[in-house]
Amino acid sequence: MILRTVNLTKHFGGLVAVDHVNLEVQEGTVHSIIGPNGAGKTTFFNMLTGEIPPNHGDVYFQEKKITGLKPHQVAKIRIGRSFQQNSLFKNLPVLENIRLAAHVHHQGRLNFLSDFRSYGPPIDQAHRVLEEMEITNIADKKAGELSHGAQRTLEVAIALAADPLLVLLDEPTSGMSPEEAVRMVRLIRKLAKQRTMIVIEHNMNLVWSISTVITVLHQGQVIATGSPSEIEKNPEVRKAYLGGPPA
Amino acid sequence: MIENALGKKKALIDKEILILAGLLLLVPLILPYKTLPTEIVIYALGAVSFNILLGYTGLLSFGQAAFFGAGAYLTGILLIHFGWHPALTLALSGIIGALFAAVIGYLSIQQVGIYFVMLTLAFNMLAFFLAYQWKSITGGDDGLLNVPRPDFSILPGIKIPIQGNFQIFLFVWVIFLLSFIIIRRIIHSPFGRILLAIRENPNRARAVGYNVIHYELIAFTISGFFTGLAGGLYALFMKMVPITAIELVTSTDFIIMALLGGTGSLYGPIIGAIVVKIASEILSVLWARWLFILGVIFVAFVLFMRGGIWGLLTVSWGRFTAGRPGGGGKP
Repeated sequence: MILRTVNLTKHFGGLVAVDHVNLEVQEGTVHSIIGPNGAGKTTFFNMLTGEIPPNHGDVYFQEKKITGLKPHQVAKIRIGRSFQQNSLFKNLPVLENIRLAAHVHHQGRLNFLSDFRSYGPPIDQAHRVLEEMEITNIADKKAGELSHGAQRTLEVAIALAADPLLVLLDEPTSGMSPEEAVRMVRLIRKLAKQRTMIVIEHNMNLVWSISTVITVLHQGQVIATGSPSEIEKNPEVRKAYLGGPPA
Repeated sequence: MIENALGKKKALIDKEILILAGLLLLVPLILPYKTLPTEIVIYALGAVSFNILLGYTGLLSFGQAAFFGAGAYLTGILLIHFGWHPALTLALSGIIGALFAAVIGYLSIQQVGIYFVMLTLAFNMLAFFLAYQWKSITGGDDGLLNVPRPDFSILPGIKIPIQGNFQIFLFVWVIFLLSFIIIRRIIHSPFGRILLAIRENPNRARAVGYNVIHYELIAFTISGFFTGLAGGLYALFMKMVPITAIELVTSTDFIIMALLGGTGSLYGPIIGAIVVKIASEILSVLWARWLFILGVIFVAFVLFMRGGIWGLLTVSWGRFTAGRPGGGGKP
């Protein structure tokens, strides 16, 4: 088991955004989290990566407790994440966006006295990610000048840059046109073959095709966890999220 | 083509540095002022150091005069009371500037946004009142007077004359260029690129694994070192330390120079220092309320020309050469 949460809980004032969530993610699997808007999916992610502290409960990564770690510490133990809203280094080229993220695990972060371009390994790694995400053609474009679809792709590329053991993707296809989404679905399917991932997504086409396990959140609580076929048949899930009675 | 994405590696000393050195050397030859060119270069060092924070890390520090003043007072005091070697006092000025910046920076970056800015401002006022009250050491309101400016030798037989106006200019010019070469290398180092990531998006920088506060603190310390060094040079050049050296107005001078010249480049603040110093020299003779004019110019630039003079130059140059609009100003 690569990641486990125990009774993870977050209140915002009187609202319980995430309510005693227990989640287990096996290494080598793709674990999707689905649920209606406001179900607490992103809040749950933010607690995994230290963006917000939980009120209650714990997170274990490779059986080590990581609750309370800061975001940069979570990244250092090789958990990479993408954001629901694009969070890029807008005035820097695409390649540099990825290189900066790739540099985290390399030596020389405190090297003041050599030109960053003479530091090969992070640049090579950034090139590999560019190729994997099929964006080598826009390597020299400023991130802020890209189309929304390309920015979403870069958003995911940054999450992959530092070669994470676990990748968290927060709605990678959000806001995309249908054509862009088709491309992103294909890319993520490709990534899913070799990585352990937790994916928040509304695009059911993507969810059904990549997931090993699906967890359904509703009003901060887990209402079901299981394989895609189990989830599809679950009457409670159909009622809360998928709409209508079981087919 | 992909190599283009990151630009070319920069040598420590290249054409840019040689052109800069040549142009700065022209300043005392062209300007009809005896001491202004030296002051320009000292302020340019302060403005470039400030821009490490604003232009390259995204931190608007109003505390720079505290580092500048600390460096100036230390050099002044060591020269007056102990007669130390000027080169040593300058090095110590840099170190005390770095120390002040480390402490003030550490306390200020615990907050973000306007609270951060106000903290740097408050610490600068605190430093000013310390200098103002501690008359026996700093001379208070009257300034620290009678700082000697002796010629000195760095190695047996190599004498550095700094008593004449052009001699002190040359000395300051050399120190400036050495500092600039180091600052430029730091900006283009792996560390400098992390600062850029923080400027662009501190949250994402954190999420990919950088301890933002840690890097900001180092940026502060580096900025403080070179600002303190500039302060030391100022004491040596002025043969005194006026209380204004540590006053908020000196911080705002650096800010105005950097913004006017352009914060997107290392060269912008140098141009800003030249323009502001010459403009104030000319305008102050013409009209007692000359600061008003400078203020209007400044507002116009902040409102309409965010890239500053350097941005304007690079855009026009781009149009001129390629007939193509746009083009940043980030060498």
